[in-house]
Amino acid sequence: MVPAVAPSPWLVRTALTLSAALAMTTIAPSWAHAIGSGGELDVRLVRYAGGHDRPRDTAPRRLAWELRKRTSVDTRLEPSDARLDDPSIYLTPFLYWAGDEAFPALSEAEIVGLRRFVTFGGTLLVDDAAPGGGFLGAVERELARALPDTPVERLPSGHTLFRSYYLVDRPMGRVSGPDHLDAVMIDGRAAVILSAHDLGGAWARDVYGNWTYPVEPGGDVQREQAIRLGVNVVLYALCLDYKDDQVHAPFIMRRRGSGRAFGPGP
Amino acid sequence: MMGAFSFDVPGGLVTAIALGLALAAAVALSLRALAPLPRRRRVALGVLRGLTALGAFLVATGPTWSAERSDEEPGQLAVLLDVSRSMRVGSDRGPSHSRMERARGLLDRLRADALRDGVSLFTFGRTAHASAFDVPSARFVAIDDDTRIADAVDAVASDATAVLVVSDGRDLGASTLERVEASGLRVHTVFVGDEEPLVDDAIARVDYDRVGFVRRAVRVRAELRSYGQPAHVVALGLYEGERLIREERVELPEDGSTHVELEVTPSSTGRALYRLALPHMPRDAIRENDERAFLVRVQRDNLRALLVAGRPSWDVRFLRSFLKRDPTTDLISFFILRNTSDMTMADSDELALIPFPTSELFNEHLGSFDVVLFQNFDYAPYEMDVYLPRIREYVERGGSFAMIGGPLTFSEGGYAETPVGELLPVEVLPAHTPASRALTTDEFAPRIADGARHHPLVELSADPRANELAWRALAPLEGLNVVRRLQNHGQRLLEHPSRTDDDGEPLPVLAAGSFGRGRVLALMTDTSWRWGMPTAGEGGDGGAYARFWDVALRWLARDPLLDPARLSTDRERYGPGALVRVEATLRDGSYQPYADERVRLRVLDGRGRELAARDARTDAGGRLEGTLEAPSEPGGYRIVVDRAEPSATRRAASGAADASPEHLAEDVFLVELGGDELADPRPDGALLRALAERTSGRFSTLADVGPLSSFDASRSRVREIVRRRPFGEPIFVLGLVVLFGLEWILRRRWVG
Repeated sequence: MVPAVAPSPWLVRTALTLSAALAMTTIAPSWAHAIGSGGELDVRLVRYAGGHDRPRDTAPRRLAWELRKRTSVDTRLEPSDARLDDPSIYLTPFLYWAGDEAFPALSEAEIVGLRRFVTFGGTLLVDDAAPGGGFLGAVERELARALPDTPVERLPSGHTLFRSYYLVDRPMGRVSGPDHLDAVMIDGRAAVILSAHDLGGAWARDVYGNWTYPVEPGGDVQREQAIRLGVNVVLYALCLDYKDDQVHAPFIMRRRGSGRAFGPGP
Repeated sequence: MMGAFSFDVPGGLVTAIALGLALAAAVALSLRALAPLPRRRRVALGVLRGLTALGAFLVATGPTWSAERSDEEPGQLAVLLDVSRSMRVGSDRGPSHSRMERARGLLDRLRADALRDGVSLFTFGRTAHASAFDVPSARFVAIDDDTRIADAVDAVASDATAVLVVSDGRDLGASTLERVEASGLRVHTVFVGDEEPLVDDAIARVDYDRVGFVRRAVRVRAELRSYGQPAHVVALGLYEGERLIREERVELPEDGSTHVELEVTPSSTGRALYRLALPHMPRDAIRENDERAFLVRVQRDNLRALLVAGRPSWDVRFLRSFLKRDPTTDLISFFILRNTSDMTMADSDELALIPFPTSELFNEHLGSFDVVLFQNFDYAPYEMDVYLPRIREYVERGGSFAMIGGPLTFSEGGYAETPVGELLPVEVLPAHTPASRALTTDEFAPRIADGARHHPLVELSADPRANELAWRALAPLEGLNVVRRLQNHGQRLLEHPSRTDDDGEPLPVLAAGSFGRGRVLALMTDTSWRWGMPTAGEGGDGGAYARFWDVALRWLARDPLLDPARLSTDRERYGPGALVRVEATLRDGSYQPYADERVRLRVLDGRGRELAARDARTDAGGRLEGTLEAPSEPGGYRIVVDRAEPSATRRAASGAADASPEHLAEDVFLVELGGDELADPRPDGALLRALAERTSGRFSTLADVGPLSSFDASRSRVREIVRRRPFGEPIFVLGLVVLFGLEWILRRRWVG
């Protein structure tokens, strides 16, 4: 378990600034909202039995907020949650599955739901809040049950996900973790994305706007990278390989080659 | 009586030679053993051995002579008159100079004898047709195509023992000499040549891709020939209908041919009719071969679609996913990922965002797209006001446009009273309509609108009852862009089950229509994606989403298979006057069948002149079958079906006074009159001479042809086949035994 950090004056100022931005967003014209609540993107948390399924309680809300603030995506600011055997998961094609410890086997209905969710077009972000604690291993065990013919594989560094909105060089979360993400590919699409970086730990804030957990090895840049990766994952779920379209290539190549801190291009 | 010699052993002559050599060698070797004997005895034994060996050879190989014994018997002569189009050559110098006219002259000379002797007359082109000598010569017109002398001879073989072929020898058949010889008829020929050397430019052959694709070049390769004139330059024109689309200057060699390659790029699907044409030169003998028409069946290549989305959403994601999955669709998409109010917290070079190239898209490349889709897209933030008239113009000229709903579009996007708002099939609410009125947020299951049950866009299943059930089984939609009413004669296809528009009619959810020459679609929701994944998740038919959009895209792109009225001919090419069989399925723009409807089938030439017509009536399903006669002149023709009574829609659109026939559907076909027949119109006397020689007939020219009685019509009839095998007789075998015995006795005595 990672200890919470005490609020600092800097954090309070930052929180106030972002709160003001949120207020501006909420008074934006009516076209900023979806027709119905179903049109908003829901960073929906996966509930499951036998483990700790809310290790970063505020993370989904923070990601939804960051998405609304940074992109044109219309998000549900109070994300919902659901078990994998809940039929309503097909109405929310993005699910966020977090944990910090191993958990017992899912029910057969949950396995069927997981399989159908990803094969019908859903995207699942798996976030290990305590890398090495057994959560990812348990998830991979359940993925092998649900999708026995599609193994977990390493996502190439040149994958669209790393340029779906931000140009991201390597994945980072609360911990710097491995330099790659893993994924289960279905029809060429990263349908399940697995992170061992505690992304939610970097996103989480308390009710006062303070970052809940310090990032390791530390620094605002790392936290910002974690947020950007979260934004990219959701934009990838929504746009798939849009950024692989030929029309984007010259722009991205130029920026990749601009000497910024994001390494070589794809 | 002629005969043939053979050996009655397996292997025939070869075995006989081998056996003969072997026996000769054996005799020669055996003679060595006789060397000690006195000369007389040696000679006597040698002769006996030789005779014995010879006898054995003849008995063993059984040489046989066989021959047919036949009688000559009088027969029946038939005259075959070539009436193919090549016989018209020479008519440019006056009627009396044509090959046909001079052949008629010959008939006139032969008439009296023919009528007296009962000689039958046939005309021929592809095959023979019975005629008679008492028919006036003027009735014989050279209009047949595709001369096949062997087929014509075969056709009269049962009526005659000999034929007199009157022809220019221009034949398109294969193995003509062998086939005519095999017919067993005696073939006399009269060569109808030209009075003067032929002067002609011709398009001898056209090779082309029979199947082409929209906006992709079709290669056309033409062989041009020139006869009787020095090398010269001509302008070869390529026409689409009557429109010259390309002209190539070609140098024609003296008495030779050259090849030209051209390209043509079809602009729409269906059968495209093209024509290659040379200018008519003053001394040109045959004008018909100055033109060759050809049909290209044009299919849709990849559909080019432009998808512009105001923001990423599940509706956008699943539509893009569908479009990208279809290998026949080239998708260019632009999603607005960031608004001006968004705070990216990054420098622009840390973002994978690109500028929205509005000018490139809507000024330069708009016309290259088959379909433009605005999905939950508002134009105002991108200063696109200036491009809206271009989009309207694009649709008026035949482009297709779809507006897909969401919180940023229709009235929320400010499209009311804009050029784009004008082209839609629905009237958009004013821009500042409160969101509470402009948008609904309830869940609902749309239902198929009255009169839309036959429309392909809402046909998830061919069976009407199953189709209704299929729509009911889909996951409900959520939220709707409210519109004021239908406009531009738009058709309501899906409707809200309870809400109504300003006219009190069910609120449209999906509406289709046309604007100018283009097709327009309005889908007033951003949750059609629920027909896919959520429906599948509930155990329903998740494929409905892809099927709906597949048909929608094809309908927008004017896929001919989705045209409400379709007409097709049974072939693409016909001979002159041939029967053109037509099938049609006729429905109005709303896909309602024209049931029991009186329609008129017409054949039109390139200038729109009516050449043939007949009335017909459709069945209850709007189906129609009929036949029409193909024109007698070569070229490309349209066959059209018109509705006698214009529809209410048409009357409303064009004014009540307009009672002109309503054009429903059409197809095109070719009549080839010249075709290969006139590709090389030079007379071929050598063929006629060879035919006569091979069949014991006589070759004549018009100048030296004699009376009919001078042509031998007799036929030899085989009475019996005579076979002689002299050395198979028992007496000869007995003689052989005697010879062998004598030789054996003498050898025993003299040699010991």
